[in-house]
Amino acid sequence: MRWFWIDRFVEFESGSRAVAVKNISLIEEQMIGYVPGFPAMPASLIIEGLAQTGGLLVCEHNQFQERVVLAKVTKARFPQPAMAGDTLIYTALIQDIREDGAICRGTCHVQDQLRAEVELVFAHLDDSFQEGDLFDPANFLRTLRTLRLFEVGRNSDGEPLPIPSHMLAAEEADNHQAGDRE
Amino acid sequence: MNTSGEMRFRMLDRIVELEPDVHITAVKQLRADEEYLQDHFPRFPVMPGVLMLEAMFQASMWLVRFSEQFAHSVVLLSEVRNIKFADFVVPGQTLTVNASIQEQHETTTKLKAQGTVDGSVAVTGRLVLERFSLSDRYPEQGTLDPFTRREARREFERLYQPAN
Amino acid sequence: MPTKDEIFEKVRTALIDALGVDDDEVTANATMVGDLGAESIDFLDIVFRLEKAFEIEIPRSELFPEDILTNAEYVHDGKVTDSGISELKKRMPYADLTKFEANPVVQDFGNLLTVSDLCRYVESKVGAEG
Repeated sequence: MRWFWIDRFVEFESGSRAVAVKNISLIEEQMIGYVPGFPAMPASLIIEGLAQTGGLLVCEHNQFQERVVLAKVTKARFPQPAMAGDTLIYTALIQDIREDGAICRGTCHVQDQLRAEVELVFAHLDDSFQEGDLFDPANFLRTLRTLRLFEVGRNSDGEPLPIPSHMLAAEEADNHQAGDRE
Repeated sequence: MNTSGEMRFRMLDRIVELEPDVHITAVKQLRADEEYLQDHFPRFPVMPGVLMLEAMFQASMWLVRFSEQFAHSVVLLSEVRNIKFADFVVPGQTLTVNASIQEQHETTTKLKAQGTVDGSVAVTGRLVLERFSLSDRYPEQGTLDPFTRREARREFERLYQPAN
Repeated sequence: MPTKDEIFEKVRTALIDALGVDDDEVTANATMVGDLGAESIDFLDIVFRLEKAFEIEIPRSELFPEDILTNAEYVHDGKVTDSGISELKKRMPYADLTKFEANPVVQDFGNLLTVSDLCRYVESKVGAEG
């Protein structure tokens, strides 16, 4: 299985809040045989959906230049299982962002029914951790475009969120390279 | 189309030790060819934290199921507290998961769990698992219970082969 | 201004929420690291909750004097020097450093902080802000 646990962003307010959707489908690998006859979405993957929604929100706050990883799930509760055929709506809210990390609160709903309530702590990997990006910048930007992040993204003034220039440069360089091969 | 089949989202290779109502030890090796590593992360492949949690959940789930002799058809994760990811697990390493029951109630079980790599702690936390039969909550699905229980037992037997 | 008891209760709640420990584990003399199992990632969580509960700001260096502990001027052979100790005292007047002073091994410092040190720290911040 690949590791995309949100399908698309529908709201993205820089430094504050993001909403993303994920459709659960019977054909997905994690659904097969998990609880035979009762296709419930594994709770851990709901946490991941929120971690991706909130993690990208935290990451964007520093123009995607910090390495953000999930460090702790302070608490999470799942009042009812989410099932195949449900559309999950993930809402992530930034509680605090500091130099060494961030705290995020999130919920998962199916329509207006709560399926999860989660508190996450993200860490910024610092210099003591080996050097290097987690992602190739051009491919990372392509992923964010696929998730429609910049289409719905707004900064705190309500203006469209600009794509950081270092990412555009990487994308352009990579496209140029691909063009030369044709 | 048929609805039975091996559990694809299996985050354990083998159950190593099992003491009903008390404790379980299970292992999971992170193989370099696991597909999600391509995305997590492209330049630094490591086991995603939530999969370390899933391994702790699945070990706990088998302990609960085995201890009650598969009485209920469904066992799900209902709550977690303080799941801390202390260290990364890289391809080739084996995560050894230990879970022990702290409290047992009618429909819930509280456990403490931990994952180690070569004796070093990689993840810890507290889990609450919930158990029920489909006939308890979804009466229209109730006739699936025997099937669900049987499939769960089959899956368990793939993981637990105690030496005779 | 909150009383010492009120401060203790709010600090206790913050620690229970952040660390997932039980009510009765959070005693005044419990050490954050040794007894309550706090690790560096928990401190982000704890600091956030305290800031919110008391409406104060907690600069990291006031609780975690890493800059002193990693300064060659203040550390010799894995032990904090006398000048290092006085820097620590200046930075953390709320902490009881007598035990540490007796054998100031740098590695042991992390395990120093107790729940009551944390309460005294909060008292100093809350009092100062009126």
